[in-house]
Amino acid sequence: MKSIPVLLLAPALGLLGGGVTAQTLHPDFELLDEEGRNVLQSGGAVSTTRSCSACHDVEFIERHSFHASVGLGAMSEPGTVPGGRPWDTSPGLFGKWNPITNRVLGPGGSRKIDLTTPDWIRLFGARHVGGGPAVTARDGTPLLELSPIAGDPETHHVDEATGDLWPWDWRASGVVEMNCFLCHLGEPDNEARKQALHDGSFRWANTATLARTGIVTRTGDDARDWSWNREMFGEGGELLAEKLGLRSPTNGNCGLCHGLVKESLLEVPVLDDCDLGQWSTATRGEIVSPQRMRDSGMNLADKLQLSRSWDVHAERLVRCVDCHFSVNNPIYRQESEQTRPEHLRFGARGLRIGQYLQRPSHELARGSMPRAGASAFRRCESCHDAGTGHEWLPYREVHFQKVDCEVCHIPRMQSGARRMYDWTALTAEGRPLVECRGFEGDPGQLETLISGFDPALLPRPDGNGGSSLAPFNLIASWYWIGGDPPRPVSQADLRWAYLEGERHAPEVVAGFDGDDDGALSEVELRLDRPEKVELIRKRLASIGIVDPRIEGTIDAYDIHHGVTTGAWATRECSTCHHGSSRLDRPMSLASYLPGGVLPGLQEDPRVTMVTGGLSVKDGELCYVPGYEGTGRYVLGLDRNRRANALGSILFLLALAGVALHSGLRWLASRKRPRTYDETPPAYFYGVYERLWHWLQALAIVILVLTGLAVHRPEWFGLIPFAYAVSIHNVVGFILLANAALAVFYHVASGQIQQYLPEPRGFFSQAIAQTAYYLRGIFRGDEHPFEKTRERKLNPLQQLTYLTVLNVLLPLQMITGLGMWGAQRWPEISATLGGMSLLGAVHTLGAWLFATFLGVHIYLTTTGPTPLAGIRAMLTGWEGNLSKAPAPDNETEEALAGHTSD
Amino acid sequence: MTPPKTPLSWLGGLAAILAVTIAPIVWFLPDRSPGHDPRQGMPAKLQHTDHGYLLEGPFEDGPAVTRACLGCHEDAAREVMGTSHWQWESHPVALPGRAEPVRTGKKHLINNFCVGIASNWPACTACHAGYGWTDEGFDFSDEEAVDCLVCHDTTGSYTKGPGGQPREGVDLLEVARKVGVTSRNTCGSCHFLGGGGDAVKHGDLDESLYFPAYDLDIHMGKHDFVCTDCHRTRHHLIEGRAITVSLDDANQVYCTDCHEVGLHDDDRIDAHARAVSCQACHIPFFARKEATKTHWDWSQAGEDRLEDPHSYLKIKGEFVYERGVAPEYRWYDGTADRYILGDPIVHGGVTPLNEPHGSIEDPAARIFPFKVHTARQIYDVEHGYLLQPKTYGVGGYWQDFDWDQAVRLGSEVVDLPYSGSFDFTDTEMFWPTTHMVAPADRALSCGDCHDDSGRGRMDWAALGYDGDPLHFGGRGVSATFGRGRQAKTAEVK
Repeated sequence: MKSIPVLLLAPALGLLGGGVTAQTLHPDFELLDEEGRNVLQSGGAVSTTRSCSACHDVEFIERHSFHASVGLGAMSEPGTVPGGRPWDTSPGLFGKWNPITNRVLGPGGSRKIDLTTPDWIRLFGARHVGGGPAVTARDGTPLLELSPIAGDPETHHVDEATGDLWPWDWRASGVVEMNCFLCHLGEPDNEARKQALHDGSFRWANTATLARTGIVTRTGDDARDWSWNREMFGEGGELLAEKLGLRSPTNGNCGLCHGLVKESLLEVPVLDDCDLGQWSTATRGEIVSPQRMRDSGMNLADKLQLSRSWDVHAERLVRCVDCHFSVNNPIYRQESEQTRPEHLRFGARGLRIGQYLQRPSHELARGSMPRAGASAFRRCESCHDAGTGHEWLPYREVHFQKVDCEVCHIPRMQSGARRMYDWTALTAEGRPLVECRGFEGDPGQLETLISGFDPALLPRPDGNGGSSLAPFNLIASWYWIGGDPPRPVSQADLRWAYLEGERHAPEVVAGFDGDDDGALSEVELRLDRPEKVELIRKRLASIGIVDPRIEGTIDAYDIHHGVTTGAWATRECSTCHHGSSRLDRPMSLASYLPGGVLPGLQEDPRVTMVTGGLSVKDGELCYVPGYEGTGRYVLGLDRNRRANALGSILFLLALAGVALHSGLRWLASRKRPRTYDETPPAYFYGVYERLWHWLQALAIVILVLTGLAVHRPEWFGLIPFAYAVSIHNVVGFILLANAALAVFYHVASGQIQQYLPEPRGFFSQAIAQTAYYLRGIFRGDEHPFEKTRERKLNPLQQLTYLTVLNVLLPLQMITGLGMWGAQRWPEISATLGGMSLLGAVHTLGAWLFATFLGVHIYLTTTGPTPLAGIRAMLTGWEGNLSKAPAPDNETEEALAGHTSD
Repeated sequence: MTPPKTPLSWLGGLAAILAVTIAPIVWFLPDRSPGHDPRQGMPAKLQHTDHGYLLEGPFEDGPAVTRACLGCHEDAAREVMGTSHWQWESHPVALPGRAEPVRTGKKHLINNFCVGIASNWPACTACHAGYGWTDEGFDFSDEEAVDCLVCHDTTGSYTKGPGGQPREGVDLLEVARKVGVTSRNTCGSCHFLGGGGDAVKHGDLDESLYFPAYDLDIHMGKHDFVCTDCHRTRHHLIEGRAITVSLDDANQVYCTDCHEVGLHDDDRIDAHARAVSCQACHIPFFARKEATKTHWDWSQAGEDRLEDPHSYLKIKGEFVYERGVAPEYRWYDGTADRYILGDPIVHGGVTPLNEPHGSIEDPAARIFPFKVHTARQIYDVEHGYLLQPKTYGVGGYWQDFDWDQAVRLGSEVVDLPYSGSFDFTDTEMFWPTTHMVAPADRALSCGDCHDDSGRGRMDWAALGYDGDPLHFGGRGVSATFGRGRQAKTAEVK
């Protein structure tokens, strides 16, 4: 720990001079030791169980608290914990191995026991409230009643240097009862508590928590040297409650174990080297404070612009326990739908306050995974109605369904966090090699710039078979395993492999010391050469570890805190709907690969990572999200390669054909200038037909252009993505309406006949027309079929238009409607094949339309004059209009390249 | 059937198609338009006429310049003479508990700084928009005595001395030829120096506003406002007043003149507007740059101590100056009570000179931030009222250091009996904090006021609440007792 200057706004000092007024409704009560005697008389350590059970049902509280049991009640054989490692024995801190700490709770199955129960308390007790495994053995016997049995991890402790077991005297050390003070005291002394735990003075840990209240004073260096201050007690020996200041837990209490948490606007959060004591800050970068980031004591990148608070809930006075409430707290009571009679909106019969105070469940509502047996599950939407406030957001329901609130409302972690633990090597202090993300430089230095990081966005299973994107921090870790069955190598063995006392073993130094200075830097310690790996492997094998090898995993830590308001949330569509989408951004994991081993993706019910992959570039390891086979289809990002390949080949072939054909026509016309018949002008296309045609033409062109902008915003995004989507949708409906009216017109007027080929001789006629386009047109032959008002279309046109108008257009309409309707009728879209199929078909259809457009426009030039067809579709009149007083006549002729010879 | 004469008739169809396509596109485009623009509330500015070639001169004194101005601007002097910048007094105002309406304004009132202008005219009237107010006999109907230049100078060289006369060395012709619109300099030359020096009186107006940083005053710093952008002026009548001299709220400037009431993108914050003024959150501290006077103890005057204009002066006594001060919060309906000469003081307590009107019961009142200036000032022990001392000039305290003589001379002028027995008593004045608005992202945050640990800014009990309204409900709407929206109670009044 560094000493950190306290930074306070000078003006604020004058205003808020007064100290904290600790208001408490708690009555005076006796502090009793574990024998039930008043501590004033006995001078012993306080027993919270004894003292508090005068009024509260402490047994009930402890039984309903995962904070206390941390998995003790759910211990099982190794390898049977759902989602756990083969050597995990519980789902909680007591029994679940974590590669960050790399300690296996004994017996554990490795060569030597790595961690016994007393060791666990000394090491993990800092993040454990007491009770549970700190009081009770795994078979339910109180720890105080255990007698040492050889090799038993519950009654021994491990000698750090040798790994040998030594008996532990529980009666001397005492146990750590559930520490009510830690969470309910205004100013708990967590440092004193942790010191007592570390010293093995378990009995006194809870007493030490009171150090700052003045009720106890430290009298000597021994962990047991505490004395009670008589003046804090009443005449009857009862503790004066106002001296203690008991209250409902504040954010500060939670922060003692969970992370960097500040209660008041005046307390400045300072990130300290991603300290593991601040667990959620170290593993996730979460900082909970009402303060504006700009006012923080940290060296944040772009600090002056960061006028948002660290966490809007803290800023808006929502406390940790307002969301993570006691599940039987009557304030938050909501009867479950299963038990509530239909005629009742609210069942008034709840737990009374008095009953609650006596037996308050200490099972707290959770925000991420609901734990088996703990019913209350609090998500953003438990309180927030996202329907209001997101009116601006297109495709709201889709977004809400596919994307967790946190994705946009925790747009970036402005703090740093751990990204790598390398337990394959040990520093001289016995620590692993560690890397952080979000820092530009040494995280241990206050002046290091904290640049922050973007969380990885990965699918979070929602428990009902679906999933939605959520933000995560990823931590890669490497460690030695060995033995049969394989288990992580114990700390003692690892130390033996690397260290001799306080220094690295000479053999290790000889093998690792690149600069021959006799000491190993962190870079030299990296297992980046096979010889180094082999050296350590041999040393481990030499003490009897079977087949020692390096294993690596990647663990995902879900991020839920550090939320911000809409003003700071992600609002730009292009953040995700873009070729360089946020969704697919790789996340760096490590700057080297320890032992050259690629880490595996750890199975975790909270996240789906298996679809992603790893990439190593310049030695840097990155996780690359992958969505193959997940059915994800994000507009602007996801594309169907096959549809694009097929479509683009067709389109290019058509263009090539047009180019070839027109070139040949041009050559032919030079050789043999064409002469034109003096056909009288005829009126071919009625007003409505022309309106219909041109509206359709305009709509299709707009659809193709905006479709490109939606499909590939990074190439064609000339207008904002949201505009492109909106215009595309609107014009799509215009096209639909136009088509519907046209169908009516063509049926009602009988003009539909024009499109229907006459069965008799159709094929021979079609062949004749094809032959004309392939041969006759170059020779200056007549069109094989005369265009008349009754028969405007040649057989090839009939065939093409029938296909385009009856197959292609409806197909685009249906797939387009399906994609549009994914907003309101997701089931219908799903029935049609979901976005990925609809998107693929729609893309191919778009290519076909573009192909048709190219050929169609070209073929309009094959009339009597190149522009005759277009002019006819504009004016309705076709024929030799060269005699008509058209002002643009000459220009047209000149453009067409055949003025008189 | 024959072809059409003009083949351009299809253009009509094209227009129809474009209309059919474009209209729905525009109609359905996502709304990304910016919201209400508060700049619409700002006055339009006219190009000012160059007076350089219009004025010949030479001008022997101020009134000569005014005569030249009136040659074209015939109504100007009469307009100015209708305003408080000239009159230094108000129309009679009815005050609760008084039978007769009272005339207020600098001319009549006393404060707890230099106390009052009566008998001290020449010193005080250096800031009068006129020439020659040195005694009771000043002719308030003399148009030529109106000082045009003090507001319209653009050179920065025009300064006024005792009685409001231009100081020695001012080039009147040069100043007159370069007249222009008012500026931060012209307004600030008096208003930034209220109390006789920079930042003395107002905690929110001082010379740092000549060139403010963007976050000192969002309007003047970031958006480059001048005073009259908010204090809109018509016919020389300038909007705005303060309860230190004006007791009613006529012609006041409000934030909502330009800003929409419900402009926060947050219902909780908007709901605060029912009880909290804009200033309360958006001016988190006053005197952010220059320290302002917060206490003045006249009773210590007259001693030969080490002098420092920010802590002790022999002629004035002891001071306290503070910088970056959190305001005090009071209910305020825009008007105030007023201590009038002759009113009894509060014995053994603090006499408020201009207590803001308003309470939690008053639906028009809002919680408003004030700089509170406290003082110990002279009073008549026998009569129990505050006294007007003559400080400036012959026989004044600043010359002779004789309190008895000073209040005797002062009392004669204000026509108030003096018993011959004086002492010093505590008074307080409320200075509304309304300038130096901080950027929105520096406004107060929830926890600044709603703080369960008792460190919040608001004294809920003093304001009349049962407790933090977050828990106990505000006025008008009680906290939701029960569950759900239907349980919300009706407004109290």
